[in-house]
Amino acid sequence: MRIAKRMKDRQPQWEELERLCDAMELRGRTDKALGGSYSGAEGIQRFASLYRSACADLALADAYQLPPATVAYLHRLVARAHNQLYRANRVDFRSWIDVLFVEAPKRIFADPCVRVSAIVFFGLFCLSMYLAFHEQQFPGYAEAMAGQSALEQAEDSFEQPLNASLGHYIVMSGFYIQHNTGIGLRCFAWGILIIPCLYVLASNAIQLGAVFGYMARSETASGDHFFQFVTAHGPFELTAIALSAAAGLRLGIGLFYTSGLSRIDSVRVNASRAVPIMGASAMLFVLAAFTEGFLSPSPAPYVFKAFWAILSSGLISFYFVILGFHDQPTSDVPSGKAKEDWDAA
Amino acid sequence: MTSIRALDTTIEVITPENISFDYQLAGPFRRLPAYLIDIVSRWCLIVLFVLPLYLSSLFFDIFTMRNLVTLPFFVAVTLLVYFVISWFYGTLMETYFNGRTIGKWITGIRVIEVDGRPITGRSALLRNLLRIADLAPMYAISNVAEGVPPIYMIPTGMVGLGTMMLTRRMQRLGDLAAGTMFVIDEKRWRIPVETVDDARVPALATYLPADLRISRSMARTLAVYVDRRGAMAPTRRREIARHLIDPILEKVGFRPEIDPDLMMYTLYYHAFLRTEVAVSDTQDQVDLGVLRGHSPLRTSSVVCKHDNDAMPVERSSHVKSEPSDIDPAKSLQVKSREERP
Repeated sequence: MRIAKRMKDRQPQWEELERLCDAMELRGRTDKALGGSYSGAEGIQRFASLYRSACADLALADAYQLPPATVAYLHRLVARAHNQLYRANRVDFRSWIDVLFVEAPKRIFADPCVRVSAIVFFGLFCLSMYLAFHEQQFPGYAEAMAGQSALEQAEDSFEQPLNASLGHYIVMSGFYIQHNTGIGLRCFAWGILIIPCLYVLASNAIQLGAVFGYMARSETASGDHFFQFVTAHGPFELTAIALSAAAGLRLGIGLFYTSGLSRIDSVRVNASRAVPIMGASAMLFVLAAFTEGFLSPSPAPYVFKAFWAILSSGLISFYFVILGFHDQPTSDVPSGKAKEDWDAA
Repeated sequence: MTSIRALDTTIEVITPENISFDYQLAGPFRRLPAYLIDIVSRWCLIVLFVLPLYLSSLFFDIFTMRNLVTLPFFVAVTLLVYFVISWFYGTLMETYFNGRTIGKWITGIRVIEVDGRPITGRSALLRNLLRIADLAPMYAISNVAEGVPPIYMIPTGMVGLGTMMLTRRMQRLGDLAAGTMFVIDEKRWRIPVETVDDARVPALATYLPADLRISRSMARTLAVYVDRRGAMAPTRRREIARHLIDPILEKVGFRPEIDPDLMMYTLYYHAFLRTEVAVSDTQDQVDLGVLRGHSPLRTSSVVCKHDNDAMPVERSSHVKSEPSDIDPAKSLQVKSREERP
């Protein structure tokens, strides 16, 4: 058969496929294409069979001796139809629950990055708090680290006993979600470059520690109110910061510690491992924001807030240890049959 | 086939149907406009969400004659909307609209996984969160402008640009981590139909031996040549075509004065466009036009009176003045040659 004739035969089908693609791109359905002659399952069937025949044409383009311009056209047509046939899956919230409550704790439990970032964060936090508390030995430390104005502002804002209206609570929890989770996400993103992530983590630890130490001094007037405020949401918030940095570090470590993979693949695998940790961190940020918005500024008795802090610490421990504990360390290399496939590939 | 990969911005994808096809990759010059459009549309979306909220909270307060009851709710929801849209605009758009945001849709690009599959939620989340690192390092405006507070920073995007240049698929850091790439998603692409507008071509093609086989590489060369010949001057066309045509003229037994460009075009016609019809029909259908009475064949017994005029290089339509000495016997001879098995 002559090429011209063959192309003439195939052309109507290619054009039909194009029209179906148009309809799919606009509405994700084939209903309106071709005067409604195909709809629903029939349309998909028609689309798939046209796509397969276009694929076959492309595969045989060389044997058919199609002109290069036509081959280029077919490449685009197949690519376009491929994009419509294999569409992105909508975000499945059930799978995210799985990620948050099954995958994330296991990753956190097994990941050395979490330990490193927790040690860096809580270590620097405690050190900074100690240095800021003992004014005699380390004069001017708190002022140098947190800044004079920030300390004064903190002192002023906790002058009055905690008491706020419902409206205030709602606004503040909204603000904390937006602001603090934003910091966490940013810390995570910087992680791929490692140093900015460590910088953000350390500077947060040192500044927070300095403020805490300053407030804990006996001569600071509003110290009691301050600790009443921070007790309830502290466990959630501080853990969330450390976790987001840990997820970030996991990203960055992949660049250096490739464990036999190529560098790019290693970054990819490690990034995929970091996502559940980041998800857990975001969840903790949101929980912290609600606590910080509603419970922390309320005039509720301190016992209740302390109880909440203990409860939240217990929940976090349960999440990390009980949900996270498993016999063998999780790795991205699947076991058994799948592992053989992985090795073969 | 060829071991050397073409030096251009396409990437081969193998589909589940076991067909490999090429995607055109999108580089920074297509992606930057898309990103800028996305920034604008992100703010438009925020306003679009917040404005009705604000109005409804205002009306609620007016109707219930109370002062600012709903305002805190409004502020909190505004903050949340701002948070969700500014952080997850790209993620949500890409997963719901099959790898496209508004900016990508306008600039005609799409983000997919490196293996050609559609983007997954996790990849979309990763690549959008990591944009911050890609926009690094920040450049403080206060370095150049006096009196600007040091909080105003311009992202220079050097990290992203650098990795885009260094990777084969032009991926930024976020793309590398998520395993995604950008492809150009051409909307319209017409089927190229080459038509031969030269009346001499079909006529000349009838003189080609019917058993003339055009090899694959030759066919490809012919198609590329015809595709490009419009961009070349006639003398250049002849110069290029001559190398290929001279041996063929020898082979098919045409006279060497034939315009090589015309000969290329004829071979193209022979390879791609000629319909499978009986040669005798062709002879009837095709108007021999300017060739009437002239045979390009060297060994043919048809001896042309005006040898030098037989296949003029650039011939205008002075057909009428040509002596039309068609001899039925002579045309038969030509036919018999063509009908050779």
